[in-house]
Amino acid sequence: MDTSAESAYAEFVTTRWASLVRAAVFLGAQPHEAEDLAQTACLRCYTGWEKVSGAADRDAYIYRILLNCLRDARRTRWWRGRVDRDVTSVSDALAGAIGDDTEDSIAVADAVHRALAALTKPNREVVVLRYFVQLTEAQTAEALGIAPGTVKSRLSRSLAMLAADHHLHDLTGRSS
Amino acid sequence: MTDLERLWEALSPSDPPTEELLRRARRQRAVRRRRRLLAPLAAATGLAVVAGAFVAGTVTGGSGSGSTHTDSTGGTGPSLAAFQADLPAATSCGQLRTAYVDRGLAQVTAWGWQRWFGVRAATEGTAVPLASDSPSTSRQVASDTGTNVQERGVDEPDTVKSDGSTLVRLRGQVLQVFDLTGTSVRRVGSMRIGQPLHDGELLLHDDTVTVLGTGRAGGDAIAGRTWVITVSIADPSTPTLTGQVGYDSTLLSARQHGGTVRLVLSAGLPDLAFVHPTRHRTQRQALRENRRAVRRSTIGDWLPTYDAGSGTSTLLDCRNVAIPTRRIGLDTVSVVGFDAGQPSSPQAIGIAGSVDIAYESATDLYLAATPTTWWADVAYPGGPGDPVGAMPTGSRTYLFDFALDGVTARHVASGSVPGRLADRWSMDSAEGTLRLAVEPLGALGGSTSILLLHRHGTRLEVTGRLNGLGRSQELTAVRWFDELAIVVTFRQVDPLYAVDLSDPDRPRLLGKLKIPGFSSYLHPLGPDRMIGVGQGGSGAQIALFDVSDLDHVRQLDVHHYPRGSSAVTDTDPRAFTWPPDGRHVLTVIRRHHVGYLSVMWVHGHRLHLRRLQPVAHGHRAIAQVRTIGLPDGRVVLVAGARVRFVDV
Repeated sequence: MDTSAESAYAEFVTTRWASLVRAAVFLGAQPHEAEDLAQTACLRCYTGWEKVSGAADRDAYIYRILLNCLRDARRTRWWRGRVDRDVTSVSDALAGAIGDDTEDSIAVADAVHRALAALTKPNREVVVLRYFVQLTEAQTAEALGIAPGTVKSRLSRSLAMLAADHHLHDLTGRSS
Repeated sequence: MTDLERLWEALSPSDPPTEELLRRARRQRAVRRRRRLLAPLAAATGLAVVAGAFVAGTVTGGSGSGSTHTDSTGGTGPSLAAFQADLPAATSCGQLRTAYVDRGLAQVTAWGWQRWFGVRAATEGTAVPLASDSPSTSRQVASDTGTNVQERGVDEPDTVKSDGSTLVRLRGQVLQVFDLTGTSVRRVGSMRIGQPLHDGELLLHDDTVTVLGTGRAGGDAIAGRTWVITVSIADPSTPTLTGQVGYDSTLLSARQHGGTVRLVLSAGLPDLAFVHPTRHRTQRQALRENRRAVRRSTIGDWLPTYDAGSGTSTLLDCRNVAIPTRRIGLDTVSVVGFDAGQPSSPQAIGIAGSVDIAYESATDLYLAATPTTWWADVAYPGGPGDPVGAMPTGSRTYLFDFALDGVTARHVASGSVPGRLADRWSMDSAEGTLRLAVEPLGALGGSTSILLLHRHGTRLEVTGRLNGLGRSQELTAVRWFDELAIVVTFRQVDPLYAVDLSDPDRPRLLGKLKIPGFSSYLHPLGPDRMIGVGQGGSGAQIALFDVSDLDHVRQLDVHHYPRGSSAVTDTDPRAFTWPPDGRHVLTVIRRHHVGYLSVMWVHGHRLHLRRLQPVAHGHRAIAQVRTIGLPDGRVVLVAGARVRFVDV
C-alpha cells in the first residue's frame, strides 16, 4: 500500500477507534473483548482499504466488518464459556467509570447490556450505529445490508421501546 | 436515552494502537505475500532479531562501566559553555524570538502550521509513537529494577519496578506497593495518583518512585502535558506524594542513572490563534493573517514552561537555548535533568529545532534529527504540545552529542551522516565509539551501512564503515553487543548479518546467517546459546540455537505454540524475562484475546515447556503482563489485578 493511502488509513483508524470500541461494547461485547474486536476489524479493513474509496463508504465498511467480527466471535467456544459478572446499578457504573480500572468498565458494560437487552438484535444494531455512532441513514443501511427505510422504522421503534423502559429519562425531540 | 448516552461517554477506551496495527497489518500482508512466493520452500528464513544479556563473564566493559556520575547539586544553571560549534546559544531573548519567527514565517500556511501525517514523530515511551517496521532491537540487559533496557546502567521507565524486596506497580491511576520478602506477595500500600494520566510508567531509585505520564483532559488537567509525580515509599505502607511537576511539552524519552532522572521533551509549535480559509476569507488572506500572528508572537509563546506547584515558570533561559545552524525542523526540545528526590529544581538546556531520536548511554546523550520519511512514520495529534513542526530536512541525519554530568548536560560535538536512523535502537555507544545502523533514504536501492563514529574536538567523524548490508532491502533489526552487531534486513528473504566491531576503525562482515522459522526476537543466553521467539508455521514458536560458531548457527530445538498464537515480544521486548538463575525463559504468548505465560526450561540441547497458563485477557492487559526474576531465584508475575510468585 502506498504512502498516502497508509497515512490515510492510520488517520482513519485513529479517529474511529473510540467509537469502534464503544460500539462493540454496546453491541454486546465485554470491554477487553471490544478492544480486540476493534483491532481485528481495523486489520481486516486494511486489506480491503483500496477497494473502498470515500470517507462515507469507509465508515460503513469498517462497521460492517466490526459486526462480522462480533458475529464470528460469538460462534467460538470462548464466547460461550465467558463467566457472567455481577450486575450493578447504572449509577454505580457511572460513578466509577472514569479511569482505567477494568472492574469499572465492566460495570458500565453490564449496565449497557441490561439496558439494551430488551431490544432485538436487528433493532439494537440500528440504534447503536445510527444513534450512538452517528452514522448517517445511508451508511447505517450500507453497514447492515438493509434498506434506508428499514433503518428509519427500526430506529423509531427502538427509541420508543427504550423510552418505555425508563432508560430514557429525557427524550427530547432529537432529529434522527 | 441520556443514561445510555452517559454510559457511551463513560466507556473510555485506551489510545488507538495505531503503531501496532500498522505493524501487524504490514506483517500480515508480508506473510501472505511471502507464503505465496515461497510455497515450495520448506521453511521460511528468519526475520530475526537478537537481543540480550550475555552472562556476566562474557560482557567486556562497554559503556556501562565506569559511569562516574557526580550528583551535582546544580548551581545557578548550566554554564554558558553549554553549546559548541554548530549549535550556537542564543545571545538574548530578542535574538531567539527572531530566529523562531523567521523560521515560523517560512513554515506557516493558510491553515496554520502545516501538519501532515508523513511527519516523523517521537520514537519513545509515553510520547507520540512512531510506526516502524523494525521490531525493537537492543542490547538487552535487565536493569536493577527488573526491566529489559537498552543500555546497562541506564534505567528506563516501566509499569512495574522492583528492587528485589519491594515491588511497585502502576495500574491505571493507582500506585501499588508490594512486599516480596515473605512466602507470598503481600500488598502493603497503595496511593491514587492525583493527575489523570495516559501511559503512566515508573522509575525507581532507593525509596523514591517517579511516575511519568501524559496528562489526560479532565478536571483542571490539560491534555498533552507531561507529569512527573514523585512518591516516597520510605514507609511502604503509606506512599507519600513528595512532588508534582507538570511540563507543557511532550515526553520524548526518560532515563535514570543512579539518582538522576533525565527527560527529553518536545514543546511543539505554539498555538497562535491561526485562522483558515472560509467563505469570507480567501487563502491568501488567511495566509497573511497567519503570518501576522507569527510576527506578533512573543518569546513566551515559543518557550516551554513548567509548573512545580508554585505557578508556571519558564523552563529555559533564552541563553540556554541553541539555534541550530543546520536545517532541521522547527520545535523546541529541552534536555532536563533533576535528582529523583528533587523534581522541582530541574536543570534544562534547549534546542530550537526538532529532533526525533534520543539515545542515552551512561555518559552521553545523543539526539538525532532524521530526515522526514513519508511512509514509515505516523504521528497523531496529542494535546497542545504535539511535535508536528518538522519539515523535510534533506538527506542527512544530524547528530548532537551531549556529555552528561549528574543533572547537567553539555553539548560537546555534532555530526551528520547520509541516510536515516530507524529509531533509538539503531544507535549504540561503547568504549567511546558511537555505532550507527543507517538506512538509505530511498525505499529501493542503496543498502544499509554500519558506521562507527568518534569524537574529534567538536565533531563526530565517521572513522569506519561497512556498506552493502542488504541491498534494496529494509532494515528490520539491529542488535549491538560489545564487539559484534547483528543486522537483519528483509525483502523476501531474511538474511542476518554478523558484523565484527572489535576493531574500532574497521567493521568487518563475519558472515551471513539464515535462521529458520520466523524469529522476531532473539536473546543470547551466553556465548554458546541463543533463544529465538517468533512465528513458525501457524503459531508462535520458540527455538534454541547453538551460536558458538557464528558462521554456522545450528538450531538445537524448537517448540511450537498452538495455532493462531503470536509472541508479545514481537512488539515489546519487556514481555521476555530471563531470570538470574539462568535456566528458565519466561515470555508472554498471545492467542485470540488471551495472554499466556510460557515458562520454558532450557537443559542441554532441549527446551522443555514447564507451563503455559492464561494470565490476562484483552490487548491492554496482555501488553502489561510482566515477570521479574529476583536475585534469590523466585519469579514474580504481575498480570491484571494479581501480583504473585510463580513456580518455575
